[in-house]
Amino acid sequence: MIDAAVIRDRFRDRGFIVDEAFATALQLALALEKPLLIEGPAGVGKTESAKVLSDVLDTRLIRLQCYEGLDSLSALYEWNYPRQMLHARLTEADGSTLEQREAQIFSEKFLLKRPLLEAITQEQRPVLLVDEVDRADEAFEAFLLEVLGEWQVTIPELGTIRAQHRPAVILTSNRTRELSDALRRRCLFLWLPYPSLEREIEILHARVPGLSGRLAQQIAQLMQLLRGLPLQKAPGVAESLDWALALMSLHRDHLDAATVEQTIGCVLKVHEDRAVLDAHRQQMMPIVADSPGRVELGGYGLDTDFGIGSVTTPRR
Amino acid sequence: MYPFGSIPENLAAFCAFLRREHRFTIDVRQLRDAARALDVVTVTDERAVRDALRPVLASTFRDASAFDTAFVQFFFPGPAGAPQVALPRPHRDVGGPTDAEKELKSEPGERARDHERPEIPTPGALSSLETAAQTDTSAPPATALGRYSPIDAEAQSRPELTPVDRAWRDAARVLVRRVHLGLARRWRPAPSGQRFDLRRTLRASLHTVGEPLVVRWLRRRKQSPRFVVIVDGSRSMADAAATALDMTVAIASVSMHVEAFTFSTGLQRITEQVRLAAAGQPLRLGRMRYAWGGGTAIGPCLREFLRRFGDRLLGRETTVIIASDGLDVGDVIVLRDAIREIRRRSAAVIWLNPLLDTAGYEPTASGMTIARPYITTFASVCDPPALARLARTMRPGVSP
Repeated sequence: MIDAAVIRDRFRDRGFIVDEAFATALQLALALEKPLLIEGPAGVGKTESAKVLSDVLDTRLIRLQCYEGLDSLSALYEWNYPRQMLHARLTEADGSTLEQREAQIFSEKFLLKRPLLEAITQEQRPVLLVDEVDRADEAFEAFLLEVLGEWQVTIPELGTIRAQHRPAVILTSNRTRELSDALRRRCLFLWLPYPSLEREIEILHARVPGLSGRLAQQIAQLMQLLRGLPLQKAPGVAESLDWALALMSLHRDHLDAATVEQTIGCVLKVHEDRAVLDAHRQQMMPIVADSPGRVELGGYGLDTDFGIGSVTTPRR
Repeated sequence: MYPFGSIPENLAAFCAFLRREHRFTIDVRQLRDAARALDVVTVTDERAVRDALRPVLASTFRDASAFDTAFVQFFFPGPAGAPQVALPRPHRDVGGPTDAEKELKSEPGERARDHERPEIPTPGALSSLETAAQTDTSAPPATALGRYSPIDAEAQSRPELTPVDRAWRDAARVLVRRVHLGLARRWRPAPSGQRFDLRRTLRASLHTVGEPLVVRWLRRRKQSPRFVVIVDGSRSMADAAATALDMTVAIASVSMHVEAFTFSTGLQRITEQVRLAAAGQPLRLGRMRYAWGGGTAIGPCLREFLRRFGDRLLGRETTVIIASDGLDVGDVIVLRDAIREIRRRSAAVIWLNPLLDTAGYEPTASGMTIARPYITTFASVCDPPALARLARTMRPGVSP
């Protein structure tokens, strides 16, 4: 059994900083063989944690990306019908009986395994990532519940396939809709919030080697500030890392107002959010190194909102 | 061991405490997993125990937020740093260890069935969303100043929800049918359709020795609309709010996808109560606090709605209906930002203003002026025929 402290250390070795609560949740998920449902704002490392876990366990990561309209066949298995047809045509004259031909056609050779079936037929216990499960339909959620509960799949032509090793399952959700209580009860639950200032600095140093201490401090402080503003899309850790990498590539060792203005696109991804930052510029000024008066953040003002009624903006 | 004798006793009592005091929904499977989790970690380490129990017993964000406080309340009820041995042991019935012991010893399947049995909601019962709404710290503080404020007055009246008659239901049905949201993205098998289904056709041909005699098709179903009805319960809407609630009940009686809220200077979710009324059970709403009978803070309340419910309720299938006279006392910029965001994230915004029926009324109040560019349909509904008229103004085949 892998200990929480060991998980922390191994994650840290791979540049992923986890706290005690996260490490304990992962430890329990592995020990109790229960799926771990991770919820939290976008960009805090939910998906990445599954990737790192597979690396830590030195096993395969199988990913099921959920989306609206995902059906059970796309997640489980499909028969390779064109290949079956071809085989049926080619063996028409080989003298085999109908039963023999049917047995050949409906064998594993012609089975296309999708992520869920793939996960339960692995020789070594894999990590199954069911990403953004909140985007899938409720019908698919019910189907998922059945698979996660039984760990077996019945294929009418082949019979029941049971999991040789229960995969370590991580489900992620951005809370675009509420998941059912039934699914929640079958999972361990972890809320992954934005990191604290100290932890974000730690993450920046771990993921962006060579980043100056001053720059890491400034980025983390600005991120804390931005997450406190009424933004439509608050920046996550992914944006912090992107920003740090962008600043590194620009050979900056600290942030000033002009640099923030040039590179803020790495962080704020919604047009209106720039106006919000502009309105709170005074709070930003103590963080950046020098503040040469007013900095125009560019872009369109809120008054020229041409998008309403004519342009569809994607859902958050 | 504090507060009870053994680990199973403490664990079961803690679960009972979480259910009773913090409205956790913990079933016997979770209780068993919690016991297994304590086998995995060092039980003498308080932090490890807390970190182990949290992911097992908390299953929502709300639960996870309340868990640490509940843990301290239960296991460390004394002043900070006080040793547990010095604390008085609670009376056995507070944690219910006797019941808890039964729970641990009882048949798992039986208990699980008990828990999976849906609870019959009562008028006083609060869903988690509603509890969150009522315990939210953003509600105006009940200070002495607040009590005497003409704006922040706490509701004294309790609005009534009554089942609606057939005329209301028929009008609501027309509305629901007229709101077309187009087709879902998912292609589903159908006897006839727009897209040829090669996979299923080939699959079916295996039964006819490879000859594709039966053609299979795919089609996209129509999307079901969802309605979010937000009723202004402020004093200025005193006469019209009851009609708006009737309309809400009427819509809920013909559609399952309805969420209802009231607001005055605070927001409150009343979906469960509306559903009960739609099912034929008349009831009087519970304590409405700042969501009824006070001043009007439309902007802050809509912003609050966006913050707490926006992600879950808004989408391209959602039609938002706001019933308000638009006489706002709040910051109009807040209202503008909120209504624009609601419009951006929903299919349509219908604003029902009872003052529109008043002769000579012009929507020149600052709240209405700032909100109008983001309103899809601006109308008044004072009775069932008016609702039917509103529905008929919507062109079939497109969103309103």
